[in-house]
Amino acid sequence: MSNDRYHTVGKSILRRGAKERLTGNPIFCADMEPENALYLKAVRSRHPHAGILGIDVSSAMSVPGVVQVFTAKDIPGKNLMGIINKDQPLLAEDKVRSLADPVALVAARTPGAADLAAAAVSVDYDPLPAVFDPEEAMAQDAPQIHAKGNVMVQKKVCRGDVTAAFDKAHTIIEKTYRTSAIEHTYLEPDAGIGFPDEDGTLVIYASTQNPHYDHKEVVSLLGVEDHAVRIIQAATGGGFGSKLDMNVQGFIGLALYHLKQPVRYVYTREEAFLATAKRHPFVIHMKTGADETGRITAMQMKAVCNTGAYGSYGIAVASRAAVHATGPYAIDNVNLECTAVYTNHPFCGAMRGFGTPQMALAHESQMDLHARALNMDPLEIRVLNGVKKGTVTATGQVLTDSVGFQDCLTAVQPEYEKAMKGWLSEPTPAYIRRGVGIGGMWYGIGNTGVQNPSTARVAMDREGQVTLFTGCADIGQGSTTVLSQIAGEALGLDAMDIHVVVADTKYTTNAGATSASRQTYISGNAVKQAADKLADVLLTEAVNYLKIRKSDLRLENGRVFDSRHPEKQVAFSRLAPRILDKGGELSWQGYFDPETVPLHPDTGEGIPYSTYAFACHAACVEVDVLTGETSVCRVIAAHDVGKAIHPENVIGQICGGVAMGVGFALMEEFVPGETISMNDYHIPTAADMPCVIPIIVEASEPSGPFGAKGVGEPALIPTAPAIINAVTHALGKRIYALPASLERVLDASIASGHFNNCYQES
Amino acid sequence: MGAQNSDNNAAKREGMTRRGFIQAMGTGAVGASLSGAALAASHGNEPPEKILSAKDTVKIHLHINGADRAVLVEPRWTLLYVLREVIGLTGTKEGCSRGECGACTVLVDGIPRYACMTLAVEAQNCHITTLEGLMQGEELGPVQTAFVEEDAFQCGYCTPGQIMSVHGLLEKTPRPSMDEIRIGVSGNLCRCGAYNNIFRAARNAAERKIK
Repeated sequence: MSNDRYHTVGKSILRRGAKERLTGNPIFCADMEPENALYLKAVRSRHPHAGILGIDVSSAMSVPGVVQVFTAKDIPGKNLMGIINKDQPLLAEDKVRSLADPVALVAARTPGAADLAAAAVSVDYDPLPAVFDPEEAMAQDAPQIHAKGNVMVQKKVCRGDVTAAFDKAHTIIEKTYRTSAIEHTYLEPDAGIGFPDEDGTLVIYASTQNPHYDHKEVVSLLGVEDHAVRIIQAATGGGFGSKLDMNVQGFIGLALYHLKQPVRYVYTREEAFLATAKRHPFVIHMKTGADETGRITAMQMKAVCNTGAYGSYGIAVASRAAVHATGPYAIDNVNLECTAVYTNHPFCGAMRGFGTPQMALAHESQMDLHARALNMDPLEIRVLNGVKKGTVTATGQVLTDSVGFQDCLTAVQPEYEKAMKGWLSEPTPAYIRRGVGIGGMWYGIGNTGVQNPSTARVAMDREGQVTLFTGCADIGQGSTTVLSQIAGEALGLDAMDIHVVVADTKYTTNAGATSASRQTYISGNAVKQAADKLADVLLTEAVNYLKIRKSDLRLENGRVFDSRHPEKQVAFSRLAPRILDKGGELSWQGYFDPETVPLHPDTGEGIPYSTYAFACHAACVEVDVLTGETSVCRVIAAHDVGKAIHPENVIGQICGGVAMGVGFALMEEFVPGETISMNDYHIPTAADMPCVIPIIVEASEPSGPFGAKGVGEPALIPTAPAIINAVTHALGKRIYALPASLERVLDASIASGHFNNCYQES
Repeated sequence: MGAQNSDNNAAKREGMTRRGFIQAMGTGAVGASLSGAALAASHGNEPPEKILSAKDTVKIHLHINGADRAVLVEPRWTLLYVLREVIGLTGTKEGCSRGECGACTVLVDGIPRYACMTLAVEAQNCHITTLEGLMQGEELGPVQTAFVEEDAFQCGYCTPGQIMSVHGLLEKTPRPSMDEIRIGVSGNLCRCGAYNNIFRAARNAAERKIK
């Protein structure tokens, strides 16, 4: 679609706040230091599972500089947190369930005193047997982590007759896949500051993805009125899902409540690694059947995911995993089940994709296995099975609009074929083998079959200045810019001419979480609705003023004009006082909730999302058969985003997703107590980056703002399966567990005979 | 390390001189030490007989972004701590405090260094450049401008370090190859994955500086 019809949408304007981030001004929480701030430090468990018999804080209190040591009994409200199910105490009461569990909180005048006092808190533990493997945790005699049992949730999606379909299938493939726990490793360790303002409100600045949720949670912990707490999102140095949970916010609230003086808490890197959510590790048993043409007719999937000690977003991960298990393919007979299980692993929560990246490893490996069994090209089998308009999904939803998966496959085809024909046959040293792999994905925008509305306000003052109020946390992905563009487009203004008030619970209303790739679509719609209402009021008054019918009027550059006689015009600044003086309204609220139907608890039938994003990546890799080192040379990444409101931001997300996908595929594995920082836990560096060729596909979504959907999580999802398929292509031996580390790739190289062949030759 | 430690312990037992303490810290605690010139410079004007405990402060001179600063520091304080918490220059970010991420990269005598792995006393009399020092009044300098133009960051937390690494690279190698750029920023992690745009920004900055 041409961008010319739009004034600002579809243009890569300068990102809001871009320059301000590069001056060195204090914008992140750790940069802010309220006067006389106390330093906070949590005392964390020394056991993965233990009863607490007693906590003695007397030695800690005698450390010079210590002001107070808090334990669970100091929490005035409800000592339970969690966005979906509340099962996580701010400070442990009767027991600890993981090494990350906080048992006490120290407030001191210096960081040194806080550290000393934290070490001096004496906890009398009664160690309990612990369990870390989710399948073991499901056993009858497994240690019980929560009173309600270790199975937190089981989500099912069933459709058609799987047994009959397998009976008729020409080829059946059944495999088990495993993925690792992943640490988000945002560069800014979690941080927050707090102070009481002049009227006693507890003000908390936090590095967060969801300030309005933080607000509700702090209010509940403290048992105070809504207006007693104000959360402001500071600049947030990356989140990727982990800053959706309460990290420092509750601690700051508790200390502020009691001490009524400024406090700050900045996690060390080690604490950020230990104490924040991880990506759920999965075990996925997947069985698929295909007919002789390669059409997949049946899928059975049983997955178990490890949610660790607490639920966090685990329920959302389990339901999204079940719904997305088929991948972007039309499969008529499915039996899909995902179980999330409590263990004594540090808790797992949201991370870019909510279980979908894990599922994509399985369904994309299965697609390649079927292609190989039938001697088909991997791209061809995806074209054959890929969803189209009219496809009925596993939950029984008919895909009606904006189904761009086939377009994504078509978009990567030329580069894919070039790689398969040309690049693959270029001469390489004997120890290097090349491979090309494909990965496909789909991703439902917004939360799964639950209401997740957003709100926004667009207001004009007497002088005609427009301000956008949004609760949407911009964590670097550029939502504030995109939402300004959407408001600007509706009002005929440059995005930069709109003032913004962002993610401050005193002035903005709830926009929900910056997660599930939902903000452009859901908050974008809320902003558009508010801006459209304001535009309509301006047009109505302009009719009076210009004596021209509304349908001929347009908004542009801060004025309303006659589209047939552009010289007939009136400035917003002239209309605004006229509207206000008549008692008119210039401040408008927008509201949008995607049209969904909750999933049936037994069959999963329903409409989990109102729209889906689609993508296909092709990866070109070189594998050193003697060392197991895999270099990702090139990734061609086609994404159907509906409409790219800000193309440069979309490309930024795609390239960033590829980088994270390289880490997920080849190097990242969080092991509690072992991977304590980036020294042991490796994320991709500049030297690991492939050349990325991003391709934007725009299958316009009728319910999206200007046709837009989302891209944040989709960007990551196809990369790892594409790389694994490429490594398999290179070695002729498949790896079923992530990460495909040096050891695993070398094992595959040895098993395939390439290691020996090459070693003997040299 | 071993020999240094035993010297250090001996010094402690006897009541350590400031000179001895600094020397021990400078060479013992930090592998990638600047020591040589910086330490020599720090010795000349100090009375050798003064006895310090670990928590005593010492006065050191730092040339930060073209201005001379005299600051009182504890010998164990890192340059990162002194820049951020003592002087209040928040452009330099703390990402790990253990030399793993590069968010705290600054230039010390023109060379990119992790400020978290450099003791402030090591930087005595050195020329230190931070992100703030690249500003041209209220305007962004050429490397910063290139980063904005090429959309070379998302969350912006690693960015000051990336910019300092690029700046350091271009000071030494005004026309870097792509490989030199990759190596130049390979000590700076970016989890948003803006690497490819960072490479472009480095090229863009090189052109701006040559002009």
